[in-house]
Amino acid sequence: MIEFNDVGLRYGEGPEILKNLNFSIAPGSFHFLTGPSGAGKTSLLRLLLLSLRPTSGRISMFGEDITRLGRDRLLALRRHIGIVFQEFRLLEHMTTFENVALPLRVLGQEESDYRANVEELLDWVGLGNRMDAHPEVLSGGEKQRAAIARAVIARPDILLADEPTGNVDPELSERLVHLFAELNRMGTTIIIATHELRMLKKFDYPRMLLNNGEIAIHD
Amino acid sequence: MTDPEKREDRRKIAPIVPSQSVAGRTLMFLVAIMTFLSCVTFGGVALVQKSAIAWSSDVGREVTIQIRPVEGEMMDANLRLAESIAEATPGIADAHALTIEESEALLKPWLGEGLDLTELNIPRLVVVELSDPVGADIDRLAREITAIKGASLDTHAAWRQQLNTMAGTIVISGVMVLLLILAATVLAVVFATRGTMASNRDIVDVLHFIGASNRFVAGEFQGRFLMIGFRGGVIGGLGALFFFAVAGLITASLLPGSSGAQINILFGSFSLGFGGIAGIVLIVPVIAGLTAMTSGVTVRRFLAQIS
Repeated sequence: MIEFNDVGLRYGEGPEILKNLNFSIAPGSFHFLTGPSGAGKTSLLRLLLLSLRPTSGRISMFGEDITRLGRDRLLALRRHIGIVFQEFRLLEHMTTFENVALPLRVLGQEESDYRANVEELLDWVGLGNRMDAHPEVLSGGEKQRAAIARAVIARPDILLADEPTGNVDPELSERLVHLFAELNRMGTTIIIATHELRMLKKFDYPRMLLNNGEIAIHD
Repeated sequence: MTDPEKREDRRKIAPIVPSQSVAGRTLMFLVAIMTFLSCVTFGGVALVQKSAIAWSSDVGREVTIQIRPVEGEMMDANLRLAESIAEATPGIADAHALTIEESEALLKPWLGEGLDLTELNIPRLVVVELSDPVGADIDRLAREITAIKGASLDTHAAWRQQLNTMAGTIVISGVMVLLLILAATVLAVVFATRGTMASNRDIVDVLHFIGASNRFVAGEFQGRFLMIGFRGGVIGGLGALFFFAVAGLITASLLPGSSGAQINILFGSFSLGFGGIAGIVLIVPVIAGLTAMTSGVTVRRFLAQIS
């Protein structure tokens, strides 16, 4: 599903952030992406999210060479990818329900068609009683679960998460990883960027270790 | 609130672009001000043109024979002779000499009441109404009244030309001002739109990250800008109509009686008429459309830059 061949990335004339990355990720797999701060985890996630183009090499996703695709096609492919940001990025003027339903509105679905699905998902992530709450009154854990729900509501093929447990307590962190594991069992490819050693030790999933712009995969 | 009411309330989905924001309100007030200025300019031009046309038309339908007092000449006989010469001229509907009282009444607005004008040798006038302003043989009339000593023909041509020139200058200036206001509106809307987009950058980014196309994002923002433009336009247009209504009332109340009458005679009444009001009403959708169009182009360029 995802294949990187000699992928390099630099911002402008700056140093190379990612160097000659070569790896492939099978559909339905679960990977932790780890490495020290500044190793390039977020840049790699942005490449996977199709919001950056590599400065060298070739990236193949969904059977297409994304380095050659136009902007509109990239945006269309991005609908197959869910993203959970470390800082949640929920829209403040919308309720939890509306934030989670946003990807379905973008797809042109009517509220009457998606209401039941969104309510069911919010119940599943434990936010059934917080549907009408705005982000400003949600706790960090609730925001994180709302962000995860928004990322998966459109049933993406790939789910990317950038430090999803960075703002929550250890107990909730574990619950969130279990949530990702449940999604993975339903067929979604999961890539979680984290530098929490405790999490990496507790869950035995393959690790992509990024260091100095180079990657090593430990199964 | 009962449960069904809560469910009903929950169905009101928030717009993707928030309806109320500081940048949005700023843009709305900007559009309202620009619409007000456009409407006032248009209304002013319409007033001037309407008055000029009415004045020119009224003046053009008559000419005046003026007979100055000349020693040894019989004024009454000369007046009757002038009337008969005028009535015999092709294209003339009627000619009648103003009485002494009528002549004095003409001077009252300028000299005031209570003056005894009987001792004053004021010129006498014969008002000649034209049945056919274009075909009337004014040259023949001018030639024939030279037989009367002290008589001269005033066709008001110089007045009319001066008035037309003045009105034309005001109309052209007004149109120029209107175009400048529209240009300023476009520029201001561009800056305000970019400001609004920048302040809503988080929304744009989130929409992009969940796969929304630029077309979808632009559509969401353009709908908002069209509403902002329309609301601002309506506020500005209503403000201008209110301004003209109040200005008309103030003019009428501050200049009662003869002063008001003079202003009305010279400059027309402070009434826009159907054409003026229709023009102002038309400016509202024009400004709203201009705002939506300008915002649309700016939004698309902004999105293309950040994509």
